[in-house]
Amino acid sequence: MKKILIYLFLAVPFFFTTYAFAHTPLCSCYDNGDGTITCEGGFSDGSSAAGVSMTVKDKDGKAVTKGTMNEDSEFTFKKPEGDYTVVFDAGPGHVVEVPGSEITE
Amino acid sequence: MKKLVLLLSLVAAFALSAPAYAHFQTIYTPQSALSKTQKINIKLIFTHPWEAGHTMDIGKDQSGKIHPPIAFGVMHKGKKKDLLETLKAITFTSLSNKGRAYDVNMKLKGMGDHVFYFVPAPYYEGAEDIYIQQCTKAIYNIAGAPTDWDALVGDPLPTEIVPLDKPYSIWKGMSFRGVVTCGGKPVPDAEIEVTYMNHNIQGNNFITKENMEIPQPELVPIGIKADSNGEFSFTFPKAGWWGFCALGAGGDLKYNGKELSQDAVIWVQVVDIK
Repeated sequence: MKKILIYLFLAVPFFFTTYAFAHTPLCSCYDNGDGTITCEGGFSDGSSAAGVSMTVKDKDGKAVTKGTMNEDSEFTFKKPEGDYTVVFDAGPGHVVEVPGSEITE
Repeated sequence: MKKLVLLLSLVAAFALSAPAYAHFQTIYTPQSALSKTQKINIKLIFTHPWEAGHTMDIGKDQSGKIHPPIAFGVMHKGKKKDLLETLKAITFTSLSNKGRAYDVNMKLKGMGDHVFYFVPAPYYEGAEDIYIQQCTKAIYNIAGAPTDWDALVGDPLPTEIVPLDKPYSIWKGMSFRGVVTCGGKPVPDAEIEVTYMNHNIQGNNFITKENMEIPQPELVPIGIKADSNGEFSFTFPKAGWWGFCALGAGGDLKYNGKELSQDAVIWVQVVDIK
């Protein structure tokens, strides 16, 4: 039993490390032209971004919208007034920030 | 008599210059790896890319009638979208003539791979007395997410080259591998021609400037073969667009009573490094 526990302890960080080194987080957004923005997320190995935390910040860094990527790795939100930044946060080392100025139709 | 000999030797020299027969159907856009959703222009040109030479009227039969393309579409996240109706006929000007080509302006929307495919109506090549039909693919990507590049498109492509390396993330000095397939099965020992777009496209024309000086013109297009599993590999000496054409990969076929060479073509873009 002890041995199994040791193996488990060894295995858990191993999985997390692979994750950390093998993937690059990806996020790309476009303006739907109807006052909403859609962002798509994923990882460079093709894995899904479902459930990844999404935050839209205004120019002062204040969160105006929060949510998560849906099962299609998409997140749609109402386009804020003024400057904004979309933050795709899949954990430490896996954060992508997309400035609103780069999001076009 | 002397004149006749001279004429004959000229004809022979022309006939022996193999480049004249390296037809390539293109699916062209300037950049294959895009950072975000954007508008792009795609051109379908049936030409001799290395020389920017003779451009054929896509789908022209023996009587000179031009038949419309059979299929044009894009596969994204496993879903195929028919784009045949969006094609607009254009006249493309090569360094030596003009030919019927097609283009489309569209928005390439959504992160991931967009696999474009094209099936033209067979073209009658009088010089060889055969029909040629090149089933062509080009793969564009948005924002780096790999979704479809390694998948078989299948219907409507009877024959196709399936990549083993992402065709939009090749840097100079890297290689590209692919598998020649027909009906989803590998085509062993397929004969493949490799071409290079040696003249850039501006508007609906090839420009005169060459990207590379061809070391030995009689050796283009470059000839390679697939192995017994239909797999081939090629390492690029130069950045730009490279095309691979597996000759007759569709099998022994006939069209209008003539031999039909149904080829599988794929285009890959090689990016320079500093």
